[in-house]
Amino acid sequence: MVNLNTVLPRNGRNYYLALGLEGSANKLGVGIVKHPVLPEHEDGDLSFKCESEIMANIRDTYVTPPGEGFLPRDTARHHRNWCVRLIKRALQEAGVKDPSRDLDVICFTRGPGMGAPLHSVAIAARTISLLWGIPLVGVNHCVGHIEMGREITGAANPVVLYVSGGNTQVIAYSEKRYRIFGETLDIAIGNCLDRFARTLRIPNSPSPGYNIEQLAKKCSDKERLVELPYTVKGMDLSMSGILAYIETLAKDLFRGNKKNKILFDPKTGEQKVTVDDLCFALQENMFAMLVEITERAMAHVNSNQVLVVGGVGCNERLQEMMGQMCGDRALGQVHATDERFCIDNGVMIAQAGLLEYRMGQATTDLNETVVTQKFRTDEVYVGWRE
Amino acid sequence: MNHLDHNLHLTIPFPNDRYSEVAVKVLRPDPILRPEDFQVEYKSKGNLLEIDFKSVDDRVLRVGVSSVIDSVKTIVETIDELDYM
Repeated sequence: MVNLNTVLPRNGRNYYLALGLEGSANKLGVGIVKHPVLPEHEDGDLSFKCESEIMANIRDTYVTPPGEGFLPRDTARHHRNWCVRLIKRALQEAGVKDPSRDLDVICFTRGPGMGAPLHSVAIAARTISLLWGIPLVGVNHCVGHIEMGREITGAANPVVLYVSGGNTQVIAYSEKRYRIFGETLDIAIGNCLDRFARTLRIPNSPSPGYNIEQLAKKCSDKERLVELPYTVKGMDLSMSGILAYIETLAKDLFRGNKKNKILFDPKTGEQKVTVDDLCFALQENMFAMLVEITERAMAHVNSNQVLVVGGVGCNERLQEMMGQMCGDRALGQVHATDERFCIDNGVMIAQAGLLEYRMGQATTDLNETVVTQKFRTDEVYVGWRE
Repeated sequence: MNHLDHNLHLTIPFPNDRYSEVAVKVLRPDPILRPEDFQVEYKSKGNLLEIDFKSVDDRVLRVGVSSVIDSVKTIVETIDELDYM
């Protein structure tokens, strides 16, 4: 039986308070989460119903100019510059006056992600852990997304579609692990969108994927789809070929290469396709692939709930397509969250880390807090679920 | 075997012994990616943080030292701003 109250709050409080630090990519997030001690948590699989209260959720994104991606070294510098200020602001917002007394655990992202940014945040996490005498939990970024999604939407046992700039996975829970059913074989879907946005030289603010979504909405003829490679490989996906193909199209479009029959009418030389059409086609094509493997995973595990998490999960078109698929399956439901929780944030790290802490999985040995770029979702022992 | 004959010694004073010990504990866990080319040793002596670098050439030494200094900057700022005791 799972007892979420295995470790009681410090200093005789009747609630837990966790600080979460996220910095695996270009977002630096600091969040503070509060869990009340509930008697029903002593005996039951209720980790999706913690009655979490979000005390602070602050994020600062390192935004690069149009046409440029974020590099590990510059991103790490951004995180180092802002980390302490964000922690200070989060503590203020949450009304935490003495963190050494009021906090139970400090959670930080141990991986997966870019090494240098992860490391810069881990250094700050270790320092405050020593200064305040509070244990650490190194959280798997993917598990952070999953646990935050479950808590916000109340989905007890969903098939999880995790789509972001660095990851594309279909995940289902079984026997104390989040198991990966299908994933990308090369680049992540968000990476594909980001890089196409760079080719188009559209702004990276608020996020490249968001700007592609807006362009796609402007597509005038949604019946006529530019055909792109459809690359589902069993339960896995491949995205790099699609990217290379559509980048060639975009470059031909900008150069006005009239020999390209897909873009220009061979007789009149009239332009048939716009940038908006390309954005629309790219989204439709890739999201259809995601829906296909998600549906197959649902059939495998006999589930009728889908939870969409990760930065690309904010995309309304993806949510709509997933909703259609779920609607066609008996009483299926799609659960998604908004940008506060979809896009990387500190609260999700605090949520997942606090669950680990409550099961006694925290550490004070700093040798266990070394970050790692490769950290698979199924490496984590999920003690807090049945 | 490479000769680690490019060396540097840094001494960074902290306000007290506790802080220099914190710095050592924070820095020590991270593994060096190429120990045959570059090595670091952290020690706290009273309020001083003492760092010894050994490396095969100047370039590797410079990169390694600057990355450690970046980390030390984060630690110092965190101590300055977030130690409420």
